[in-house]
Amino acid sequence: MRYLIELYFKYRCWLIFVVLEIVSLITLVKFNRYQGSVYFTTANTVAGAWYSLTSGVSSFFDMQAENERLEHENEMLRKRLNDLRSGMKEEDNTIDILTEKNRNLRSYNFISAHVINSTLNRSNNLITIDRGEIDGVRESAGVVCSSGVVGVVYKTSLNYAVVVPLINEKSIVSCKVDIDSARVFGTLQWQLGSPQFSYLNDIPRHEVVKEGLEVETNGFSDIFPANIPVGTVTKVDDSSDGLSYSLTVKLHTDFARLRNVSVISGYTRFERKFLEKRVGSLLKDK
Amino acid sequence: MNDTIKHRIIRMLLILIVQILICNNIQTFGYAPPVLLAYLTMKFHRGSSRESLLIWGFIIGLIFDIFSNTMGKGMAACTLLGMLQPFLLNLFSPTESVDMLVPSFKTLGFDRYIYYVVATMLIFHFTFYLLEDFSFRHPNILFTGTFVSTVLSVLFILLADVVMPKDKNVD
Repeated sequence: MRYLIELYFKYRCWLIFVVLEIVSLITLVKFNRYQGSVYFTTANTVAGAWYSLTSGVSSFFDMQAENERLEHENEMLRKRLNDLRSGMKEEDNTIDILTEKNRNLRSYNFISAHVINSTLNRSNNLITIDRGEIDGVRESAGVVCSSGVVGVVYKTSLNYAVVVPLINEKSIVSCKVDIDSARVFGTLQWQLGSPQFSYLNDIPRHEVVKEGLEVETNGFSDIFPANIPVGTVTKVDDSSDGLSYSLTVKLHTDFARLRNVSVISGYTRFERKFLEKRVGSLLKDK
Repeated sequence: MNDTIKHRIIRMLLILIVQILICNNIQTFGYAPPVLLAYLTMKFHRGSSRESLLIWGFIIGLIFDIFSNTMGKGMAACTLLGMLQPFLLNLFSPTESVDMLVPSFKTLGFDRYIYYVVATMLIFHFTFYLLEDFSFRHPNILFTGTFVSTVLSVLFILLADVVMPKDKNVD
């Protein structure tokens, strides 16, 4: 302790200097927009490089669990392939269906990425992935994994991107539930608590909702294609205003063990935006 | 409050008025105005406490930033100047000089004093423009800005040396 005090008195000048310079630099970054953006871009690149290093080490130790999960997924896909093959023999219009499906899929391109950092216990959780603008990742692109929806890309740098996952209070995803072959739409929003559960709001009260129903994306936005699994309904509650139902959804994505994800980059997204903008301006003119 | 601090505050107010009313309105070739406020940090006598130099430097920078809308840049540059001032003063002082030497034409001599002012202003403006640019992407702005502002600041400081009231205790 005495040594520490002596050390302080010996170097107090440098200490004051460093503290005052840090205060100045924080003020610089906080109050100047340009310096702030340069700082955050650089910090994102540096932090991304560090996270990719640490995640490389930890992913090596998680390899066994990851292998088991992939085996399970392969088994499921094989089963689905067999189901489809047997279905093809029964259906006459299979070619038409496949052509249509193929056309839909062509609108999207998937960029595979690794999660290098993520948080689970905050209200605004974020995920960092090791793909950036160089790889074609753009802001507002959807991110999925083998089990379902992960989130939406929020910010990108050259080599990294930060994703707002479903378990972020600011994340809102438009979803659907199939009830007796009718589609019911709602908005999925997370509340601080368990990272396994989220809430599907605005479900009309006249619908008969049961536990165990599958929640999927509805394809209204250009972020996610339709029918990507999100989770399963585990509880049906009234909304706070009592006008609709609020469903508790157990998310398919296990955010604690998330490693491999895919970023959806829409080929036809800009085409669609352009078309909608043109129609909007035409209506304005009239 | 002793006379030196009183004198320092009066000087500071006078220089602040000149800085805000005149210097801040000079935009030579689109570059930042000369910084007369750094004159106060420069004028500390030899043997001043390093802590007080740093804190005065920080406060002077903060005042400059508030009135010039350059938050952080003046503070960082003035604090650095406060840190380096004793080294610079020793570098340009004659070998046989008084302990409480205050840098001026009289004490350092004409040549040494000019070198001292130019060196301090170069360091100040280089730091200021480095933080303004915040990268080395525009070296021409960094070096031209440093040069133009240093020349103007040196002229203003030499002028201030002639007209500023002298502190009989130390000057």
